[in-house]
Amino acid sequence: MSVTQQAIAVGQGFARPRPVRRAWFSGIHGADYVWAIAFALPYAAIFFAFVVYPIAFGLWMGSDPALYDELFADPRYLTAVVNTLLYVGIGVNLKMFLAFLLSGFFMRKRWWSKALLVIFILPWATPALPAYMSIHWFLNGQWGMLNNILYTLFGIDGPVYLNEHWMGLGANISAYIWKTLPFWTIILLAGRMSVPQELYEAAEVDGATGLRRFAHITVPMLANLYLVCTLLDMVFALGDFNATYFVSGGGPAMSTEVLATLGIRYAFTVALPRLGVAAVMSALPLLIPLVILLMRKLRMSEGQL
Amino acid sequence: MLSGSVGLAATAALSRPYIANAQAKTAVCWLNQGFIPQEDEAMKKVCEDYMKASGNKLDYSIMPFMAQNQKTISALTSGDVPDLVFMDAPSSILPQNAWDDKLVDVSDVVKPYESQLAESARLCSTFYNKATKSRSYYLCPIKQGATPFHVWGDLVEKAGMKISDVPKKWDDIWNFLKQTQAPLRAKGMRKIYALGLQVTTVGPNDGNNLFAHFLIANGGEGIVTPDGKLHTDDPKVREAAIKSVEFMTNLYKEGVVPPEALSWNDADDNNGYHEKLFVADFDGTLSTELAMIKDKQAFYHDMVTLAPEQKNDGTPMKTQVGTGGGYIPKGAKNVAVAKDFMKYFMQPQVMNENLKGGLGRWVPAIPQVVKDDAAFWLKSDMPCLLPYVTEAVLNPTLPVYEGFTPAWGQANAEQLWGQAHADVIKNGMKVADAVDKAFKRTEQIFAKMTFG
Amino acid sequence: MSATTAVRRVGHRLHSRLHYRVRRYGVEGVCLLLGLAIVIWSLTPIYNMWLIALSLHGDIFSGDLWPSNPSLESFRVVIYEDFWYLARFWHQFGNSFYVGLMVTFLTLFIGSLASFTVGRMRLRNGWMLTNAALMTYVIPASFLAIPIYRIMQIYGLGDHLVSVIMALTTFATPYAIFIFSQYGKSIPMELDESARIDGANPWQIYFRIYLPLMSPALVAVGTYALLLAWNEYLYNFLLLSSPESMTVAVALAQFLNSDESPWNYMMATAIIYALPPIILYYGFRRHMAAGLTMGGVKG
Repeated sequence: MSVTQQAIAVGQGFARPRPVRRAWFSGIHGADYVWAIAFALPYAAIFFAFVVYPIAFGLWMGSDPALYDELFADPRYLTAVVNTLLYVGIGVNLKMFLAFLLSGFFMRKRWWSKALLVIFILPWATPALPAYMSIHWFLNGQWGMLNNILYTLFGIDGPVYLNEHWMGLGANISAYIWKTLPFWTIILLAGRMSVPQELYEAAEVDGATGLRRFAHITVPMLANLYLVCTLLDMVFALGDFNATYFVSGGGPAMSTEVLATLGIRYAFTVALPRLGVAAVMSALPLLIPLVILLMRKLRMSEGQL
Repeated sequence: MLSGSVGLAATAALSRPYIANAQAKTAVCWLNQGFIPQEDEAMKKVCEDYMKASGNKLDYSIMPFMAQNQKTISALTSGDVPDLVFMDAPSSILPQNAWDDKLVDVSDVVKPYESQLAESARLCSTFYNKATKSRSYYLCPIKQGATPFHVWGDLVEKAGMKISDVPKKWDDIWNFLKQTQAPLRAKGMRKIYALGLQVTTVGPNDGNNLFAHFLIANGGEGIVTPDGKLHTDDPKVREAAIKSVEFMTNLYKEGVVPPEALSWNDADDNNGYHEKLFVADFDGTLSTELAMIKDKQAFYHDMVTLAPEQKNDGTPMKTQVGTGGGYIPKGAKNVAVAKDFMKYFMQPQVMNENLKGGLGRWVPAIPQVVKDDAAFWLKSDMPCLLPYVTEAVLNPTLPVYEGFTPAWGQANAEQLWGQAHADVIKNGMKVADAVDKAFKRTEQIFAKMTFG
Repeated sequence: MSATTAVRRVGHRLHSRLHYRVRRYGVEGVCLLLGLAIVIWSLTPIYNMWLIALSLHGDIFSGDLWPSNPSLESFRVVIYEDFWYLARFWHQFGNSFYVGLMVTFLTLFIGSLASFTVGRMRLRNGWMLTNAALMTYVIPASFLAIPIYRIMQIYGLGDHLVSVIMALTTFATPYAIFIFSQYGKSIPMELDESARIDGANPWQIYFRIYLPLMSPALVAVGTYALLLAWNEYLYNFLLLSSPESMTVAVALAQFLNSDESPWNYMMATAIIYALPPIILYYGFRRHMAAGLTMGGVKG
């Protein structure tokens, strides 16, 4: 029997509960060890060449305590912190939840699902700069498309969205979700596809309804992936300045600034890059627990299935 | 040996401004991309001409403004610097880096031209260095830019008024132009506004620039003096600030400004102007007009460019000009060649040729150039050029305050005045309170920079 | 069975069949609505971009819902490189492809190798590698630009496309490793074991079993890496100086040189530029379902 045939045979027997045994249970020996090291080398090389020094340098850049005094004295800083918490909290969690639901939606076998998926990933594929600028113009109070639609369809004069703090923040978050939702949906979709069909079929035979199958198979299987994605996306969202910069520009009156845009302003508008790094690093107390949590999640990777 | 030749060249600056090196050296230059292709062509030509004349080689890259900004800051932070950086608007980078002793002193390049340079150009090129505890030239000035009024003359006529009736005093100009709104709306232009007042905190500079001019018009130009000191405690300055904020917020409240203006970014006001969303605005350089150069009707007939004339007390108004040119980061490997190139560039005829290529969007830092080449600068068939040149070169000008101290740049970056407008308009603060709040924060920022 | 009971039973069956049909069509309807909502949500800002791209310069912000003078002029300008910002459009397009494909390939290859060796071969202390990978994200990429610029200069890679490729691979790979580890857990270890017994060496297991089963994750992460490299502009212009080496993402940034720019050209460029990743994804979409067939073949 060839390896592939054996694999299929083994895959068939998957639904039966079995104690998980590791492929190289008794440890890697000899030649295998060499292979293992060889496989690990490429990433290790990248890490030592391109991560160690830059991260160390970056941490050094933000390490001067005087920078933080200056940072806290800036009246925009506190607003930026609150906005960042909202931006990350809502932007990430709402998006991941939607991604989870939509991944289920896209699992359905419809002839138009595939086509829809291609349309769906358009926001992700479009370059950020023009896309966000387009949203900024879309929301313009005077000649933006949204208000034009409202006027044409309903005859109402829409408000000036970006003149209000909450609408501006909402616009930024929505724009960010719009742009990145497809990405996470695809990841979760891939995750859903890894859940073996046998489990669903076995459950159906056992008489479980759709909702129970969902709660007892889908959710546990995807839980870890969902968590990892959420944590990673929080890290990404913390560093995202494009959405805020181009959609609301931090306005009105700098009330929608986030730490990333504040940092970029410090770094490139007043040539104080160290202060810029300090701005994002002031989020480290939030970031470090996330990273540690991620590390633990990844470490606990034995016997998940 | 090289420094000896440079010394020789400095003394013989006008007759033989460049050194012909026995060994040709290569200087790495980062030049900013222009606004129209002709600007880039003109830049390339200067570089090529210099290379031919001197035998030195320039390894130049023309890069987009944003890219160059970020690249330069990265270079200055990491220490891997080019030999020359040439920017149209270096006021975001220069003050802080000169303060931190990261730039090469270029007095030897600028001094020979000192007497010919406009005073504002000199002041814009002088920065304080904390390490040497003194001011010196760190920028080789080549070009300057000012802020005129851009008005749709055809809309003014349509409103039944005449451009020739535009008053001379600053506030009166605004009051005159705001009267165009009612008649135009009555004629069916449902969405038109009179004034594109950039009372915004977004976008790097429009709001700050506008406010600075209001301040000047109201007599508050002494807010920062060339020694870098802040004078918010001066009652004249405070009164000027209060009058300015009051005037601007009143305009907004009267409804002659598009409500969106509170959150306009850098391009929104320009887009609005082109769309004839409003009749007039006050925005930097001639880019507004030049962008429509292909629309003959608009460019040659409809658009009117006006230079501010008088402060509110009737005395002539000096407007602020920014200055662009070349600077040399410390640690550059080929300082001599970089300096030599700038010396070449600063020659009036070279400066002139280069700036003419840009269709006059930037004016020369040496005023005499404009008078010598009057055919282009003063008698141009481009109607926008003469008012602009008058404002930026012929009339006396003030430098932007960034050169006096980096603190002003930081205060600007915090958009304190846009914040003051927002406080009054959105949060109902009293004008005096909003001004005091902005002053307080400005004082905090200035307190961090100690001279001497 | 009495007549009433029979009638009742038939009635009941009819009722439940109707019920079933209503529910099915109801669900279908909801799905259709959801699909419609997705289309509107995804396409609206993009429609705005189309609107601008199809407008002539003077009409861009006229506030029409449909361009009053629709014109393909912007697209023509981009394709024929008729505007000075776009003078090297196709060459830069080629650069984008080169960088994009290299980053994708390297990320997928290095990432899958690393997750294979740590997750499946259980390299001792392999967790140190994945934890170290996480360090990459401690500081957001936009702020790491300056140190990375420095280190590329130190390595003498200034102004080479290789520096951009390596920088972007460095950012994409840790993410790839995490997703592969998570996804790889669903592939039973028995497969590896039986292959070992069969005499396969680790490379064969990696190549013949692991990679095919990972297809959906490979497609997902590959698209991510491609788009990261495709649309990234900060590192591109920071690490490169000459216009020869720039990608289209950087060319787009030129439009922000001043507050006046032909936005219609910019939008047309963006639209054309967004197409290749979409087409590539469409080409690979079959592989998104591969896992299902391998993992769940019926006996």
